[in-house]
Amino acid sequence: MSLLILNNVEVAYDRVFLAVKGVSIEVPERGLVALLGANGAGKSTVLKSVSGLLKPERGEVSRGEVMFAGEDILALDPPDRVRRGIAHVLEGRRVFGHLTPQENLLAAASMHNDRAKVNRLLDQMFTTFPRLAQRAKAKAGYLSGGEQQMLAIARALMTEPKLLMLDEPSLGLAPFLVDEIFDIVKKINAESGVAVLLVEQNATAALEIAHSGYLIENGRILMNGTAEVLSANPDVAEAYLGGHQRVDYHAVKHYRRRKRWLA
Amino acid sequence: MDYILIAELAVSGLFVGLMYALVSLGIVLIYKTSGLVNLAQGAMAMTGGYVTWAIAAGLGAPMWIAIMAALVVMFGAGMMVERLALRRMIGQPVIMTIMLTLGIEIMLRGLMPGVFGAAVKRLDIGIPQAPLFLGELLINRATLIGGVISLGLIVLSLAFFNSRYGVVMRAVADDQTASWSVGIRVERAIAVAWGLGAVMATSAGILWGATQGVDWSLSLLLVKALAIAILGGLDSIPGVLLAGLIVGVAESLATGIIDPLVGGGTRDIVASVIILVTLLLKPHGLFGREHIERV
Repeated sequence: MSLLILNNVEVAYDRVFLAVKGVSIEVPERGLVALLGANGAGKSTVLKSVSGLLKPERGEVSRGEVMFAGEDILALDPPDRVRRGIAHVLEGRRVFGHLTPQENLLAAASMHNDRAKVNRLLDQMFTTFPRLAQRAKAKAGYLSGGEQQMLAIARALMTEPKLLMLDEPSLGLAPFLVDEIFDIVKKINAESGVAVLLVEQNATAALEIAHSGYLIENGRILMNGTAEVLSANPDVAEAYLGGHQRVDYHAVKHYRRRKRWLA
Repeated sequence: MDYILIAELAVSGLFVGLMYALVSLGIVLIYKTSGLVNLAQGAMAMTGGYVTWAIAAGLGAPMWIAIMAALVVMFGAGMMVERLALRRMIGQPVIMTIMLTLGIEIMLRGLMPGVFGAAVKRLDIGIPQAPLFLGELLINRATLIGGVISLGLIVLSLAFFNSRYGVVMRAVADDQTASWSVGIRVERAIAVAWGLGAVMATSAGILWGATQGVDWSLSLLLVKALAIAILGGLDSIPGVLLAGLIVGVAESLATGIIDPLVGGGTRDIVASVIILVTLLLKPHGLFGREHIERV
């Protein structure tokens, strides 16, 4: 039984614009799944359909079902989904800029009534992310991009999720920071058993840590498989991994690329 | 010039300013959480005054019970305003929501005197009338006590915003979508802010009602409250405190010094001039929070 199952999900914005056209995805317990694709492919929309954050953007799941831990969650509002164990780290980090890192973490613990537990979680976060402890008194808005991304992840972990969804954690970060963040994600997944659904454009970095992956294009799943299979696929290598070998652009025949629509 | 008179005016201005700041505090509370300016705050204060009077005089309850009951009733009323009116406005342009609060203000201004009668209601909260002498300075006891209570409530709300739920409310003010994403019940936080705003308004309505009686003119406190909120920076509680003192003293001195020269009426101009000058010179107010932009 998988932790998260999206079954033929279709998302429409303003009841008109179809951003996701029948996507089926599974994230197993303790799994680390990458969702890869270009700009506007529908990756973020898929995550929002799981966390319930479509509503502020006038989007809705118009077809299909989203099952989490065996329960259909589409009727739940976002705070209830967080309480079931779904944490969504938004694209662009979205930390509370006028709050200190510590207050950011506290604000995310509103569902925990036990104060000792909150303090324990806080300590845990500051040990996992020592950089945040150093800057605990600064306003989060003045942290560097990498620190903000760490804060956003730590903030999501304060809710004690079963599933952590990360939307482009590498956005706008230097390569060494991307490595650092991905190492942390891998560690969290391996040590505390939190399942991770990772949305990325940086497919190289994502496939290095992911167990399996999905390729999404134009709101449809194009391909899925284990990380090794995806990295070895010549189309993926050409389009998303930046080409291991030099590409002769005269020889590229886009119309003959082996695309198969899976759903 | 009579220095004792000026000192007296300044001191009473300080306390009156604190009482103005209390009305303004509600505006700031709501703005800090939901990013909306509540233009119904004056009428909320008036309604609070009327409700207290109605419970005390109409039902014959002792004053302290009436005050407690009114605070509870108005907390509920504030939450109802959010639930019934403002939640429907989610996703609409901000200006429409602000206009809605102005509509509530105008409606209450008409409704309350209509229901309870237009005559001035006396609200006796047990403050003796006898004036108080501080050295040579004569101070109105009601103003003094009102000012001190207001100061207490302002300090209390400062502490509240550093409490656990206060942090949650500040998070909601920062980013509502991100708040949802970490499980904060955004609607509830905003409703609580409206409830607390109404409680602040009611406290102010009771204190002002005790000094000048309860009638529709209590809702005119809105103008002073707006002046203070704008001068203080709309989202800063220390700003409200300082701006309240400034507006109170400025008004008081204007009444004492300029009124005899021009023949009166400067009191109500002061607040408007302060709004105008602040918006022209320092639109974010004295303590308005800066927009953090990393480069």
